[in-house]
Amino acid sequence: MTEFSPWLARATPHLILWIGALCTLGMYSVLYRENRLYRLFEHIFLGLATGYGVALAWTDVLLPLWWKPLWNKGEWWLIFPLVVGLCYYLVYFPKLRWISRLVIGFFLGITAGRAFQVFANDTWPQIPASFKPVLPHAAIAKTAASPAIPALSGADALNNALFMVILVCVMSYFFFSFPQKHPVLKGSAKLGRWMLMFTFGAIFGSTVMARLALLTDRIDFLLNDFGADVGGSVWGPKIMLALLIVIMAVVLTLVARKADIVEE
Amino acid sequence: MLKVMQNLDRRYLYALLILAVALPFFFNVPMTVPATQSTESLYDKIESLPAGSFVLFGGDWSAGTRGENRPQSEVLIRHMMRKKLRFALIAFADPQGKTLMQDIAVQFQSQYGYREGVDWVNWGWRVASGQENFLKALAQDVLTTAGTDIHGAQVATLPVMQGIRTGRDFSLIIDVTGTASYQAYIQFLQGPCKVPMALGTTAVMAPEAFNYLDSGQLSGMLNGVQGAYEYEQKLGIEGRATRAGLSLSFAHLLIIGMILLGNGAMLMERRQQKRASGDRS
Repeated sequence: MTEFSPWLARATPHLILWIGALCTLGMYSVLYRENRLYRLFEHIFLGLATGYGVALAWTDVLLPLWWKPLWNKGEWWLIFPLVVGLCYYLVYFPKLRWISRLVIGFFLGITAGRAFQVFANDTWPQIPASFKPVLPHAAIAKTAASPAIPALSGADALNNALFMVILVCVMSYFFFSFPQKHPVLKGSAKLGRWMLMFTFGAIFGSTVMARLALLTDRIDFLLNDFGADVGGSVWGPKIMLALLIVIMAVVLTLVARKADIVEE
Repeated sequence: MLKVMQNLDRRYLYALLILAVALPFFFNVPMTVPATQSTESLYDKIESLPAGSFVLFGGDWSAGTRGENRPQSEVLIRHMMRKKLRFALIAFADPQGKTLMQDIAVQFQSQYGYREGVDWVNWGWRVASGQENFLKALAQDVLTTAGTDIHGAQVATLPVMQGIRTGRDFSLIIDVTGTASYQAYIQFLQGPCKVPMALGTTAVMAPEAFNYLDSGQLSGMLNGVQGAYEYEQKLGIEGRATRAGLSLSFAHLLIIGMILLGNGAMLMERRQQKRASGDRS
């Protein structure tokens, strides 16, 4: 880029910030209402992300790991993955469809076999970890035969007991094999449902927090990155804040006027 | 008044929210937030590693979750550099992860006297659909599986990879992600190689990860930007998360206030309607 245009090379960091600020404001224009500017930037983002992914799939994966060894180093056996991959498309040719089934069956077998490893390493360790001690005890010293077990305080024991109760109640909610008529089962299932509701509430709260964190990042960018580049680190953020307030004031005046017209 | 509150145009709320987020950037209010157990555990885990230990660092995020995953990546990389740990960066979930993580490592390397290829390396991006196969192979043979770094250099020839042959040679695996990519690490690397693993995840994904934390499959976790904020306090630095912390708190206060106001107005309106219908009868 330096050879192509020294000016462009110097201006690139500033251009990046300007483009970033324009894109951010363009995307947030949807807060007023759905509009063409928002649609434009949305399509630019989608196109960029997809194009970037496709380009990197070639430059970072296929080119160094497949094409170069195949073409430059003569590793001819690397042609087989291509042939096997192309066999998937034989599904469109009725007479040769059986070949595609062979390939699909082969990979289905691999995936099914791998599922055992997934269960062993992912789910299985969580089962013994669910059996927690519910009685407080002192530390058990380390011996040659058994490892040390740390002490369990009263508060931790209570926490574990609460965990066990919730675990059993939530699991009982998912007993669908027989009608839940027994009062104990009915009660535990109901408590389990309540616990699930609390969990969904916590997840929803976390989602709100996540979305606000993204907004915070964009405002931080507009004020402290873009603002500092435009007007310096002291006045830039303040100018950007003033500009944001002006934009919002204009938008809200428009909203208020429209509401008045509708009322009239 | 009650009707106005019930039918308030949402754009007024958006404006209030933007102000609630923007204004705190101009106030320097010191806030001390006690670190949660999951943050504390991750900090202790990295602190316990001797200098020169090797960490595999997954940067599985893109610009879409930059607000949360970037401060997390920054604090963790700074802590690793402070502890003089070697690390390899890799991305699966999104090709942007490769570039974003490279930028962060390059940004801090001179501050901590780090050199690319000697103290850290970026293995680049590998397609997400092949993550499981890649990790399975990595557990057996790191150097052949990793192949080349982002500059095209053979990973096996780099000084940073000295003594690293199989997945068991890793001292820690960290995945910073806005996806479920960390599960593949648990299934095909952490579990089989018995290597400790930690996670930095978006607040949306965090509730799903708590069971892994409880079972010990994860040694620690950063929960959203809040986790990064706590971690910055542990490190004694003021970075992006600290800057965002006050804004986030104000935004939460505004939302809680609006929820209370909206529901209060609804309840009062219902009471008024009941009274009105009682008077008529």
